[in-house]
Amino acid sequence: MNIANVSRRNFLKGSGVFVLGAALPARANLPDGSITAAFEPNLFVALDTDGTVTVTSHRSEMGQGIRTAIAQVVADELDADWSRVKLAQAPGDAKYGDQNTDGSRSILMNYDRLRDAGATARLMLRQAAAAKWGVPLEEVSAENHMVAHAGSGQSADYGELAADASMLPVPEKVSRKSEAEHRFIGKPVVHVDNGDIARGKGNYGADVKLPNMATAVIVRCPWLGGGVAKVADPAPRPGLIGLEVIDPAPPAGPMFAPWGGVAVLAEDTWTALSVARELEIEWTASPNQSFGSEPLTAELKAMLESPGQTLFDIGNVDAAFDSDGQELSAVYATPFLGHMPMEPPAAVASVEDGKCQVFASVQDPQSTRGLVSQYLSMPLENVDIRVTLLGGAFGRKSKPDFVLEAVELSKRLKRPVRVQWTREDDVRHDYYHAASAQFHRAMVDEKGHPTAWLQRTAFPSITTVFSGQALMPAEWELEMGFTNLPYRVSNQRMESAGIRPGVRVGWMRSVCNIFHSFSANVFADEMAALGGRDAIEHRLEMLAEGGEMEVPGMQPPPGHAMDIGRLRHVIEKVRELSDWDRERQEGTGLGFAVHHSFRSYVAVVLEARMEAGRPRVTNSYVALDCGTHVNPDTCAAQMEGAVVFGLSLALDGEITMKDGMVEQSNFHDYPMLRMNEAPPTTVHVVPSQGRLPAGVGEPGVPPVAPALSNALFAATGTRYRSLPIRMA
Amino acid sequence: MRYELSVNGQTVAVDVAPDTPMLWVLRDHLDLTGTKYGCGGGYCGACTIYVDGNIARSCQTPVSTVADMAISTIEALHENHPKLVEVWEANNVPQCGYCQSGQLMAAAALLDRNDSPSDADIDAAMTGNICRCGTYTRIRAAIHEVAAYDATRKGSEEDAA
Repeated sequence: MNIANVSRRNFLKGSGVFVLGAALPARANLPDGSITAAFEPNLFVALDTDGTVTVTSHRSEMGQGIRTAIAQVVADELDADWSRVKLAQAPGDAKYGDQNTDGSRSILMNYDRLRDAGATARLMLRQAAAAKWGVPLEEVSAENHMVAHAGSGQSADYGELAADASMLPVPEKVSRKSEAEHRFIGKPVVHVDNGDIARGKGNYGADVKLPNMATAVIVRCPWLGGGVAKVADPAPRPGLIGLEVIDPAPPAGPMFAPWGGVAVLAEDTWTALSVARELEIEWTASPNQSFGSEPLTAELKAMLESPGQTLFDIGNVDAAFDSDGQELSAVYATPFLGHMPMEPPAAVASVEDGKCQVFASVQDPQSTRGLVSQYLSMPLENVDIRVTLLGGAFGRKSKPDFVLEAVELSKRLKRPVRVQWTREDDVRHDYYHAASAQFHRAMVDEKGHPTAWLQRTAFPSITTVFSGQALMPAEWELEMGFTNLPYRVSNQRMESAGIRPGVRVGWMRSVCNIFHSFSANVFADEMAALGGRDAIEHRLEMLAEGGEMEVPGMQPPPGHAMDIGRLRHVIEKVRELSDWDRERQEGTGLGFAVHHSFRSYVAVVLEARMEAGRPRVTNSYVALDCGTHVNPDTCAAQMEGAVVFGLSLALDGEITMKDGMVEQSNFHDYPMLRMNEAPPTTVHVVPSQGRLPAGVGEPGVPPVAPALSNALFAATGTRYRSLPIRMA
Repeated sequence: MRYELSVNGQTVAVDVAPDTPMLWVLRDHLDLTGTKYGCGGGYCGACTIYVDGNIARSCQTPVSTVADMAISTIEALHENHPKLVEVWEANNVPQCGYCQSGQLMAAAALLDRNDSPSDADIDAAMTGNICRCGTYTRIRAAIHEVAAYDATRKGSEEDAA
């Protein structure tokens, strides 16, 4: 057999059953390893002789519907019968390309290659049939899991052709379907994991159980950089294995290293939790003990009073401010936020015989693999990272500190170990969304439009987590809604300032767009109000003229420059959707905000009023243009969720620190929006097929909080310039 | 301590400390991992189960208090509420899905005692269950849809009778 000439597998498996590559005894609930099937033309498609198609998802599922979307794209080009498509979840492996499920770009980065993966398999099945039947390829069609030759009346199920197809060379070039031919792409397909989830069978990081596995609950030092000075041995009790002290992260920067603490190892979770609660620990000191969020916010606001680092400067802002005219200035402030995924971090690790296997809800199994390899000084190929469903993530689970804890403990215990974070651990040891402050100052003409605009932003940069020296916000943080606003002003300057925090900061869903969108959208509303203008009319006029806009500092890849026409369209759409020109009820206001982030365009209108001192949102409207999208129902769901996420942070989101310690601990003092406050949401997804795919998971959040602030101004006449929104 | 429990219609035995919450008995000892840990304080509802037909937060329910009661979990919900599960699935209610066991248990309990819940009834019954992904509007719509389906079916049964 000429192996070089055949597809990756040169042999056939006799059975139609997938064999999991797990070294450990296979359990029904373990996430997948490598797939072996009769016909595997590429990394994403496996076809067995019984016709079962297994599509491999190399991106992590955290509710954004990516597993379904990947299957939709592959199955469409393959022309598969949807009921015969199964999903497998890829382990962390460079062969898949980027697996960092982050930045709302899974479809952007993979759309074409996934289409090619499906199309390749389809072509090879047709080739196999043509050869088998001795007919020209052009006369062989493939549709709905069936290859057919009309002339001879022959047909075969995909499964029947798997063996023959596997012997063929993989074609280098394939043609993709036209949009009109799509059967799954662009359709509101039901998510592949819904059935399991609705029956309690969804498998998350915390659900994995290995033979002889111990459970660890870790009591971590309340402040960053501290370690264990002294810990008293707990009384022996059934199920308790013992304690292990974990050293704090090196002072160079916490990165993703484990946090210092005491791990309680037990045979079951409750024993570990019970002992952890009673431990008496003395901690070592750390300079971070002097850190407080209130002084930090005061310092950020003080920084705004003097010039920061200039990022962009056109015209002459200072001269413009010296001239006559109406001047407007305002300071905005936003607090630290926690990710709060419903599933607190959890990971299972097994370090044994020079190998390490991890089962965890991680957003980037590939970088996790690299970190574990480095941490254990173990060759990369000996590290196997399997990905479960993620019970929410929002950026938290791209920081695999919890995996390294499990790895460390398994290495010491010589047993598989599951690390289970409590909710309190999660609230107190997060990588917080940074607190921030912004200053806006403008000269405003009679129509409410700025003739000069000075913007300043100050916040602790995410880069401080990676470097002991980092101080200033990074360019990519500033390109999130600060330097890339779609407004052209003849005199405009943008400045930034940074500060080192005494806690870990990290990216959370929408990242710096949250606070930048808040201040810019509220300030624009303030300018409109000063000119006595309708907020939407005013904003449409404020947009730069023309189509694509070059934005300062931003070097978008081809096809990703901000398109003012598309921005304008979502604004017009949300005006229509919300019936913006309707008569307002007494005490109720409509508020508008628009933001471009993650290459998508989102405009939001909220209807709100003040009710017993608390904002009450009674309706929400969202218009989204995310370019080519795979599942419009997923897009709508992400916008609905973004409204809730945005309102949670606008109404209650505030993590505070004092003496280096986080003051909140659970949902009672860091509340989430609940059913009784969730408004109805009407979503319009702009049909935008044919354009580059853009983000869906994150871009819905940034316009929500400013739309609420603007609605409350319309309702009450009071400006809310700080988050969370509270009555003065 | 050894406890005999009735879980999803089966009698099972576990040997655990009396204060062990049912959440961990189900997850660690009975491999019923559909019941989720979200907060450990009774705030979020991810761990919702039925005890003698009433909803309970399993993280706040020590095993010693339920030894002679009928316990039911998400794994058995579809047997008695197939339409609810079907609608949840078809309407793409779940996002990450982690809280959905609790959401479904709370929704089923509501529909069991109120066959045409108003929005206010849904608020009252479902506000104890947090969904960080923000699936509330779909949960609300799904509950209404199941109630309407049940009403139609009931109506046609009455017509037939």
